[in-house]
Amino acid sequence: MRMSAMLSLLICAGVSSAQAPTFNKDVAPILFAQCATCHRPGEAAPFALLKYEDAKKRGKLIAQVTQSKQMPPWKADKSDFAFRNERRLSEAQIATLQKWVAAGMVEGDKNDLPPAPTFASEWALGKPDLVVKMPKAFKVPAEGKDIYRNFAIALNLNDDKWVRAVDFRPSASSVVHHTLFFLDTTGTAAKKEADSGQVGSSGAMGGFRVPKGGLGGLGSLTGSGGGQPGSLGGWALGAQARSLPDGLAWKLPKGSDLILSTHFHPSGKAEMEASTIALYFSDKPPTKRFTGLQLPIAFGFAAGIDIPAGKKDFSIEDSFVLPVDVKAFGISAHAHYIAKTFNVTATLPDKKTKTLLKISDWDFGWQEQYRFQDYVDLPKGTKIDAKITYDNSADNPRNPTNPPRRVRWGKESTDEMGSITLSVIAAQEPEFSELQKGYQQHLIAAIRKFGGKK
Amino acid sequence: MRCCLSLLALLAVGGLHGQEKSTSFSDLNGRSHTPLSQADKKATVLFFLLPDCPVSNAYGPEIKRIAADYEAKKVGAFVVHADPDVTIEAAKKHVKDYGYACPVLLDPTHILVKATGVKMAPEVAVIGPDRKVLYRGRIDDLYVDYGKRRPAPTQRDLRDALDAILQGKAVAAATTKVIGCHLPDPKK
Ligand code: HEC
Repeated sequence: MRMSAMLSLLICAGVSSAQAPTFNKDVAPILFAQCATCHRPGEAAPFALLKYEDAKKRGKLIAQVTQSKQMPPWKADKSDFAFRNERRLSEAQIATLQKWVAAGMVEGDKNDLPPAPTFASEWALGKPDLVVKMPKAFKVPAEGKDIYRNFAIALNLNDDKWVRAVDFRPSASSVVHHTLFFLDTTGTAAKKEADSGQVGSSGAMGGFRVPKGGLGGLGSLTGSGGGQPGSLGGWALGAQARSLPDGLAWKLPKGSDLILSTHFHPSGKAEMEASTIALYFSDKPPTKRFTGLQLPIAFGFAAGIDIPAGKKDFSIEDSFVLPVDVKAFGISAHAHYIAKTFNVTATLPDKKTKTLLKISDWDFGWQEQYRFQDYVDLPKGTKIDAKITYDNSADNPRNPTNPPRRVRWGKESTDEMGSITLSVIAAQEPEFSELQKGYQQHLIAAIRKFGGKK
Repeated sequence: MRCCLSLLALLAVGGLHGQEKSTSFSDLNGRSHTPLSQADKKATVLFFLLPDCPVSNAYGPEIKRIAADYEAKKVGAFVVHADPDVTIEAAKKHVKDYGYACPVLLDPTHILVKATGVKMAPEVAVIGPDRKVLYRGRIDDLYVDYGKRRPAPTQRDLRDALDAILQGKAVAAATTKVIGCHLPDPKK
């Protein structure tokens, strides 16, 4: 009995090692393509995953966190339209890593090893047109809650510019999770910072941009250039800088300050952050305009976010019917800690429903600006539905208050917000104003309704 | 075979294997310590850390606080590096970055790892004056899972264990599961 058990064990071992994946042939290609952008010296991840020794030493953990889909970090579920630079392992790749670890992490034939990946040493998009740096470093404490902080940087531009891409480089990459870029033409943020005598000012989403209420304040939020109002997009850990597609560009009015709205994640060790930002200009103005359709409007300001303490399944929704044919090129989601899921669908005129973005385990820490692989065609009459759910119970480990308390809309990270932004152009450029007008009406209707309820 | 089994059983109950009782280690400053038999302490905490493990590093400030809070209560503390690739220089840099005040020991051959039965970083083992492992596991429940962290811990397992030991009580949860990084293999 014991003998035969032993024998079959041996046979099994023999068989599996014959088919066992090796590092050089099977594992290195996965790590090089899917992990090395972050797991290499000088980047945000805590160790490199480039050599056999690197991977072998952490084999068990690699098997564990790839199986649980925590690595590579990518919060969007598979939906109907592919995203660019999607960081997702296939089931086959996950299985390969499992097998490699289970079979004892064989190195394999040196000749099978693909060349190590190469990365742009300075800026991925080449020489920038303008590079600016935070004038003073911000001290990130060793521990404590996540920090949201806004930094105003003077650009000192005497002419209006069109921006096609923004790249970002943190100085303390272990604590900077993501940052959103905004423009401030009023000098408010810089003044707030100067008056306080501190480096940066507090509050999420650029802080000062959030409407104080009333139509006047919100009207400006629809913006003109595109994306989110006065926005220049954002950067998240592991992101690769990309130009806007199709010659599109953000308008950068002269005299604007650049605002970084940065999310810090204390690491156990105090760090000093002085970010560097690279701007790429277009030499000619874009021939098309784009805009961000935010649903619900204004980061959920009028969506009735008022979540009782302990409530497990609170949700907000908004829908918008497209007044003209549009093409979508990007989508992003925003909420704070207790949001749980995002679901954005497009119901086409033929009643077919497609998923644009689905997030089933929202993590405040990973605010990706998703870019579609190709334009997504959404004909006139398509209904965009956005639904966001929240869990304000004590069972939600991400709940920042324990015991839970009533949570309402607000800009502090213990308040909530919630919206998605779909970045679109009009399929026919002359119809762009009609698109903007349609969204404007939606906005006004939403605020009237909200005002009426109050 | 039978011999092996009984040895395993012995370790599982939490007794330290004979030889290691008097094992002496030098800290980064060359001072000698016997972390497994500290006669003048009511208990000794070994913090097994890995300098490249983000979960382990996130605990830096709390480890310092625990070491300081319990020092006056005659509880000893050591940081232990069980990664054979961590050199004295690397360990010194880690101390400088995170400001640990307690002695730091290198355990490349896993003498302390085997004696206490730890497997992860950050994992702690609390050793009593009778040389038994009284608590082994996580520091607290800050991490719910990999990448999922609470704003603050709701259960402070190590502090609870130390408080119980100091009051002469049994530790309620003598072992807990650790979220963190697996300790690498020892030096051969
Ligand atoms: C977008 C950047 C990025 C990519 C891509 C990435 N990682 Fe990570 N990885 C990180 C960061 C950042 C951490 C540290 C997590 C923290 O601080 O909590 C990490 C931590 C880890 C850990 C330690 C466990 C933990 O959660 O702390 C392992 C193991 C790991 N990554 C494996 C991988 C593997 C394998 C891949 C590729 C399949 C990969 N990572 C791809 C950024 C990345």
